[in-house]
Amino acid sequence: MLVLSRRPEQSFRLGDDIIVTVLGIDGDRVKLGIRAPRDVVVLRQELFQELHDANSDAASNTPASTEVVAAALRRATGKVPSENSSEIAVVGA
Amino acid sequence: MEAPALSLPDVDAASVISFPDGLVGCGDWKHFVLLTSDEEDLPVGVLQCIDEPAVRFMVTDPRLVDSSYSPSISLEDQLALGLAPDARPVIYCTLTIASDGSITANLLGPLAINERTRQARQLVLADGDYSARHPVGQVG
Repeated sequence: MLVLSRRPEQSFRLGDDIIVTVLGIDGDRVKLGIRAPRDVVVLRQELFQELHDANSDAASNTPASTEVVAAALRRATGKVPSENSSEIAVVGA
Repeated sequence: MEAPALSLPDVDAASVISFPDGLVGCGDWKHFVLLTSDEEDLPVGVLQCIDEPAVRFMVTDPRLVDSSYSPSISLEDQLALGLAPDARPVIYCTLTIASDGSITANLLGPLAINERTRQARQLVLADGDYSARHPVGQVG
């Protein structure tokens, strides 16, 4: 692991296209600004880990048939699938 | 192989669904096919990974789990999916079945599919209050 120290308002670069700036320090929290191309995903480590673990677990499920799972879903939610779609909003950056 | 097909809306079962960036933390899982049941209107499907045959996700429409589920698609995700400005992706969520039979749905990282191109992406709904393990009842 590369270790460096920065004061507020100092920055460092990752590759050619990513700049991280220390915006400030407030108690035990560091505020960071990240400038990166649109296609670079920036993710808090805890969120990454949570999703990675959930993906891993979901991929290697305890075997159960889809019919059995669907029945459980219906029991739990009391819902029957319908054709209606709800709007999925698209928001700008 | 287990109970195959499920009838899920909107996505042609015969086509390969591509995740150019894989899934979060699983970048190599890029190509999938959706297996659907002969049984009509079965709301649970299987997303079978072609790159890694042992990888298969049980998926469902997240609105069956949470009827108010209506995630906002960020501009970045919209661009990454190649979605036209007013186009909506098909959204599925994975289901995890634990060894005790409890089922949870990943509402934090749903799978968004561009129906037109079959390109897909796992969204990260960091701003919402969603859980990657939303409880949905029990098998058996």
